[in-house]
Amino acid sequence: MFLWAWKSLFSQRSTLVGSSLGIAGAFILVLFFDAVFRGESEQIVAYPAHMNPDVWVMQAGVGNMHMASSYIWDWKMDVIAAMPEVERVTPILYFANIIEARGSKLFAFVVGLQSGEHRAGPWEMSAGRRIAGKGEAVIPAVLSRITGIGIGDTMRITDHDFRVVGLSRGTYSSANPVIFVTLDDLADILSAEGTYSYLLVDAKEGVSPKQLAEGIRRTVEKVNVLTTAELVANDFGLAMQMGVEIIFMMTMICSALAALIVGFSAYSLVARKQRELAIVKALGGRRGALVGSVVLQAVIVALLGYLLAVVFALLVIPQVPLLVPQLSLVVSIGDILQMGLVALLVAVIGAVIPASLVLRLDPALAYQV
Amino acid sequence: MFWLAWKQLKLDRIRTAMTAFAVAAVIAVILVLDGFEQGQYRQLERVIHNRQADLIVTQAGVQDFVAARSSLPQLTREAVESVTGVVNAHPMTALPVIYRQDGKLTPVYVLVYDTLGGPASLLDGPGIRQGRDIVIDQTLALKYGLGMGDEFRVSDFSFRVAGITDEAAFFMPFAFISYDGMIDLFLESEIAPDLSTFPLLSFLLVELSPQADRLTVQRSIEQRVPEVDVFTPAELAAHDVDMARTFYRPIMGLLVSVAWVIGMLVVGLVLYADVRSRLRSFAVMKALGFEHRHLVTAVVAQSLLLMLLALPLGALLAWLLKEQVESVAPVYLISIYEPLVFTRTLVAGLVLAVVGALVPLRSVRRTDPMIAFQGA
Repeated sequence: MFLWAWKSLFSQRSTLVGSSLGIAGAFILVLFFDAVFRGESEQIVAYPAHMNPDVWVMQAGVGNMHMASSYIWDWKMDVIAAMPEVERVTPILYFANIIEARGSKLFAFVVGLQSGEHRAGPWEMSAGRRIAGKGEAVIPAVLSRITGIGIGDTMRITDHDFRVVGLSRGTYSSANPVIFVTLDDLADILSAEGTYSYLLVDAKEGVSPKQLAEGIRRTVEKVNVLTTAELVANDFGLAMQMGVEIIFMMTMICSALAALIVGFSAYSLVARKQRELAIVKALGGRRGALVGSVVLQAVIVALLGYLLAVVFALLVIPQVPLLVPQLSLVVSIGDILQMGLVALLVAVIGAVIPASLVLRLDPALAYQV
Repeated sequence: MFWLAWKQLKLDRIRTAMTAFAVAAVIAVILVLDGFEQGQYRQLERVIHNRQADLIVTQAGVQDFVAARSSLPQLTREAVESVTGVVNAHPMTALPVIYRQDGKLTPVYVLVYDTLGGPASLLDGPGIRQGRDIVIDQTLALKYGLGMGDEFRVSDFSFRVAGITDEAAFFMPFAFISYDGMIDLFLESEIAPDLSTFPLLSFLLVELSPQADRLTVQRSIEQRVPEVDVFTPAELAAHDVDMARTFYRPIMGLLVSVAWVIGMLVVGLVLYADVRSRLRSFAVMKALGFEHRHLVTAVVAQSLLLMLLALPLGALLAWLLKEQVESVAPVYLISIYEPLVFTRTLVAGLVLAVVGALVPLRSVRRTDPMIAFQGA
């Protein structure tokens, strides 16, 4: 019976291919949605992850960079810098705001750096140079590509104009392209003289990040101290949590669509082979075997669709940013495996109506002409 | 031909129902995706219009309301109120905070208001009556199981939930507090030592006298108070939507395109399978002398009929999905019944039906009339 199921399925290759492509499309939608959120979330933490100081010091009550604001007095930096465990303290000012570049408006993370400071600046340049003075900015190379703004051009943050002097690599995401300006410029914009947003603190050799964090907490009041791993985990978690409901709903919607396609394909196959199935029934074929053959067909169709989606996800999705550079896409193997379980479930649900048709099939149909 | 196509669809009702459901599901997915994007724009517009101002004053150079930091000097209010035609300039401050409870984090856009600009409607609760009261969006209430009188902690300061509203935009639920609440928050919480850096006044919601000309007053304020920009709510909303488009368009455009490709595949598959199962009927028609164009018309007619069945079903499914998504995650608005979204889907659906009908035409063309005389 299973051999029959296999053969009859492959005798209608067009239906098989069409169904598999339809199911693959539904799964691709889910994987794509997930890749967008995961890619954006990973890119959102690109800045803290690349800076990777031993600890980050921020305003008490703040535990993120993404969508957060933090202000601490400058004297707190001096106190921390004087601690024996501390090798170096690098202050930054930071705010998330809308920037304007050649008529395009984007939400961006703006980082203010002390003049000549490279520790907290772009980690890789693709063109131009780093900022050296007031009124200069380094923008992501991708931002330059999609807006057309290049080195020497002007961009605007609130009411301040900046001249682009360099393009950085690895600093773009749709949610937060990272723009570097001087700390003085950003202090002007924020009216935040005498304060910093975050302190990147590097420990002396032999001092662990945890020891350093505890030392700072003991020494400086009303600040929050996190290791890079903790800050990155907080931001990544926040970004993923923002998309978790919509990803779940998309999975449900597209799985239902896939189940319908599976159901339709299996039903079409059963409907076309009614007479053959009636003969099997007339010859004493067991109901279990008949239903099993329908489920097998549904599973094959669903798994083929799933495999096509996996191939697409692994080979095509990572290439999409070449065409649409503003997208950061990351395909997760864990999500792909989860989707495999969904595909099996979809196959079983999709087989319900065709299986009931098989069970209701009258063996007398075999004798009709 | 339409009559014949209709008869054929009625012949196997289960198949027709499944076919219509499959196509309807594709329509629903497209409507939901398209509606999701439009919904984000509508939310951005809504949160600005809900402030009920005739004009909105921002820091010079700031052209947006959501996701933008605007900081106005305290004396600006007096200067704006001195302009002829201005009845009142109601203060509003925006504080983006991250709410943390039970290990879950949510960015919240807190709007501080005084006499205008508070929550447009309350789903529950009396609203703000004292300093520690806060009105939160239903997303927060649902996600954290918060109800009337519950504690809502921001930077170690305890607010008390005094109302539930439905205002969210750009993935962020909104919350509303009074200026008393903001001052208490600044003074009692950990923020206090660094208070000077916080924008104490972000926007002014301008109320005009009935006889004032909005454009004239807008220009007058900008001339008299150079440190501000002035927008109508529609202008400000257009800027926010513009900013959101640069964020959503590449992502949603690609997703909707993938959904349309799937739609084409499903419709093509459905029609192909259907035509294959009725090759004998086509053979009979050929044997009876029907020309190829008649058969093509029959296939296209059937495809269009299927689509006409599927479209209302798809709209219904989309509505059910929208209701489900919005009840699970009210931070998202899905605007499926927008004329633009609906018309686009309707027209594209009909085009899809015709294109889908082309897939099985080869089988129809190759049908041998002799099949009509073979046993079933």
